Amino acid sequence: MRRRKRMMEGLDEDLREHIDRETQDNIERGMTPEEARYAAMRKFGNVTRVKEAVREVWSFLWLEQLLQDLRYGARVLRKSPGFTAVAVLTLALGIGANTTIFSLVNGILLRKPPVHDPDRVIIVSNKWAGNRGEWDRLPVSAPDFLDWRTQATAFSGMVAGNFDDYTISGGTIPERVPGGRVSSNFFQTLGVAAALGRTILPGEDQPGHDHVVVLSDGLWKERFGADPGILGRVVRINGNSYVIIGVMPSAFHLWDFEARMWVPLVFSREEIAPTGRKERFLRVFARLKPGITAKQAAAEMGTIAQRIAEAHPDTNKGWGVAVKSVQEYSIEDGNVTTALLFLTVAVGFVLLIACANLANLLLGRSLARQHEFAVRAALGARRTRLARQLLSECMILALAGGGLGVLLAHWGVRALRAQMNWTEGAVSLAQTLQIDVRVLVFSLTISAASAFVFGLLPALHISRTDLNDDLKEGSRSFTRGGERHHLQRLLVVGQVALSLVLLAGASLFLEGFLEEIRASAGFNSHNVLTASVSLRGLEYYGAPQREAAFFENALRNLGNLSEVESVAVTSDLPFNFPNERNVAVEGQPAANPDEQPRCGYFVVSPGYFETLQVPVLQGREFHVSDNVNSNPVVMVDSAFARRYFANENPLGRHIKVIEGGTKDDWREIVGVVADVNEFLGQRDSRPHFFEPFLAHPAGTMNFVVRTRSSPAGFSEALRGAIWAVDSNQAIASVRTMDAVIADAGQGDDLMAELMSAFAGIALALAAIGIYGVISYMAEQRAHEMGIRMTLGAKPTQVLCLVIRSGMSLTGIGLMLGLVTSLVLPKLVAAGFNGFHASTAPALVAAPVVVAVAGFLACYIPARRAMRVDPMVALRDE
Amino acid sequence: MSTKEERTRIELLQGTLDLLILRTLLLAPRHGHAIAKAIEFNSEDVLQVEQGSLYPALHRLIKRRWISVEKGTSENNRRAKFYRLTPKGRRQLELETRKWDKLAGAIARILRPGEQAGEP
Repeated sequence: MRRRKRMMEGLDEDLREHIDRETQDNIERGMTPEEARYAAMRKFGNVTRVKEAVREVWSFLWLEQLLQDLRYGARVLRKSPGFTAVAVLTLALGIGANTTIFSLVNGILLRKPPVHDPDRVIIVSNKWAGNRGEWDRLPVSAPDFLDWRTQATAFSGMVAGNFDDYTISGGTIPERVPGGRVSSNFFQTLGVAAALGRTILPGEDQPGHDHVVVLSDGLWKERFGADPGILGRVVRINGNSYVIIGVMPSAFHLWDFEARMWVPLVFSREEIAPTGRKERFLRVFARLKPGITAKQAAAEMGTIAQRIAEAHPDTNKGWGVAVKSVQEYSIEDGNVTTALLFLTVAVGFVLLIACANLANLLLGRSLARQHEFAVRAALGARRTRLARQLLSECMILALAGGGLGVLLAHWGVRALRAQMNWTEGAVSLAQTLQIDVRVLVFSLTISAASAFVFGLLPALHISRTDLNDDLKEGSRSFTRGGERHHLQRLLVVGQVALSLVLLAGASLFLEGFLEEIRASAGFNSHNVLTASVSLRGLEYYGAPQREAAFFENALRNLGNLSEVESVAVTSDLPFNFPNERNVAVEGQPAANPDEQPRCGYFVVSPGYFETLQVPVLQGREFHVSDNVNSNPVVMVDSAFARRYFANENPLGRHIKVIEGGTKDDWREIVGVVADVNEFLGQRDSRPHFFEPFLAHPAGTMNFVVRTRSSPAGFSEALRGAIWAVDSNQAIASVRTMDAVIADAGQGDDLMAELMSAFAGIALALAAIGIYGVISYMAEQRAHEMGIRMTLGAKPTQVLCLVIRSGMSLTGIGLMLGLVTSLVLPKLVAAGFNGFHASTAPALVAAPVVVAVAGFLACYIPARRAMRVDPMVALRDE
Repeated sequence: MSTKEERTRIELLQGTLDLLILRTLLLAPRHGHAIAKAIEFNSEDVLQVEQGSLYPALHRLIKRRWISVEKGTSENNRRAKFYRLTPKGRRQLELETRKWDKLAGAIARILRPGEQAGEP
């Protein structure tokens, strides 16, 4: 570097010396001194450039120039803070939103179970096709499972699990937790080891050795304070003692088979008896043998199932087998996949709009700077040098925008994690959720590329055209640059159209999902708290009268609380699939049970319909007097009435429960209630009927409590009132009814929120885009406006002129967007089961919103144009 | 701007200019202007060097230590920087010349197949 300094020192002198000599030579050739000097200079070339080239020889010049360019670029950008802020924000929003959502999509769609070699683990389910549809994720009976396990050769291991809720007690408060009875080689087959202690060993599925339990990491932390000395401790599960032998790692989670504890699966005598083939309750997992494909395994299982069906036609006729990878099993759950797909498209739109915006901003800017660059080129700046200058400005924008985008993505993912709490599976999934680096790089590249492409346009322009034109024309041309105005207009039209589609789509979701669903739920879910209570494990479980007494006492305690408006118990909450029964109707021929719809069946206490505010359409609600000693009565819903009593009055008619009925006698219909949906967006209500709790007491019930104000702080009082009856009682999942509905939606409202956030972002971006273009065009036409006003145009006419030019673009965009939006309802309806929102409001409201935003974006520059002083505009020549 | 005559002149490739400078310095050290003159004179003005471009080339050669600089006085007693070929530069010149001959011969054979290379 010292050498360089020494060499550079005399350079100026050397060059001057050289030119002097040449001048001298020229004079000797007979030129005048002036001519001689001029000729010498011309022969020498651009002195500054020579010096730069020499410096280049000696230095990391590109680095110096880069820094210089960056410094200069930063200064230029600082001078137009509005442009810079908008460009950076646009980039950041595009990158941030895109990355966040793609991370979510990948997190959910591409998730793999945290087991060894997850691609080789498959789930073997029962398949049943009837005239009511086909199901291929049905559980399996114990004898079938045992036959499969003995006969199948495609698997290195086949295990089963029975997933259910268990009451865990002893020590602190009793609790109901999801758990699994699993084969003794369940964990070995999945290839997961305990984080603490061990998993279940072969042989522990023998009666007498089976009282061991493995805890989930979550349960261990929450209930046992992450006690490292937990092993060997005894807990009570469903009233029996179990020894804790291990704790699973926190990552271990089979999303569709929620479990917080695992105990050995020991089949009871009834379960493996020939009649047990009818009781399908097992989930079967298997690991493919090396070299065997899932297809081969499916073929073998098909043969085995056929053989079993032939041997046991009365229980297995029509039952097939479905073989799916864990991933296939969980994501074919249609709505989630479609929702994520829609989100992805929405994000793509936002990214497009962001890029268009950026392009627009940079284009407008490049037109404004045409003159500046022409001057610099004329003064000897090489084109590559100018391009580098522009490039460095883009680089600053891209770096700042990208950096902010990464930050946004980081916050976005964190916010999503906090939002994903609808089930424990979702929570555990949320923990694995992280920024998807590939997507981040992709969005960064796309947005940076658009910044560079459109940022470099002025440099291209300069190398393409004659500088003289640009110089002569100055910066106020309103005749030229037409082609790029064209591009800008096109971009604005596209932006408006895209944001309209997005907005319409988002409002479709909002309306369609939230309003429609809540309105069609058939009851008022606000201010209702629910709690699930099972008497399992308590000594009076299975003793109907004592169970009834327990719930009656709890209901009385709750009813006495001042915050409680009304309270009841039900066998199943709305939006959870109820039990099913086949019924016979008095006076109607008994139909083939296969062809008859099975009815949803609830046991509810008096006051249930009052609490949920389900209208009683005919007859009466249950009374306390509807108990074991009274005449058997039932209530039905209007879907039931429609199905069985088309035009007749169902009151006073009798029905009989064919299967699973406690008393095989006719029951009188005493009331008809409005339909309550079983799942979100249900189109045709299934028939339901209700039996009085006091006549059919059960050990597992759900409380529904309507409180006078928000039930948020009421959970403790609710627990207290129940524990006042029996302090050993486990209370599971105290949730508001709104939360129950949200859970049933599996995050649909999160999705709707995301969609509307995107629509908002898109709208803002599009408005900024329109604003940028219109204000730029208005500025370019200031001269024209000046002339117009000098010739007598009124300011308001100028205002209209500018607004008209902007609104015509907006109008075209709106038309395009509207045409595209028309297919949205169909698309959404095709993608989502049970979606049937009215589309009119969305398709009217969205264009109005976009038009208003567009108008505002035009109005502000138009006002400015109106205030142009004609003299100033003309003098500006 | 350019006339027909100017267009028949050949713009120099960067490496070629380096080679010409080295060749010019083979006989004696010279100052910058003299080098430019020599190149123009010896090439009968066919090779058009924008004189300024000489300087980056000179510095490039200094950096590679193919030439060295010394202060001196020119013929008419003016102070000037003289550029002198180093032994390393001399070897480089031989190498480059051989390479150049080979290349020129090859190109000539392609352009004028069947004729002796170098003949008109």
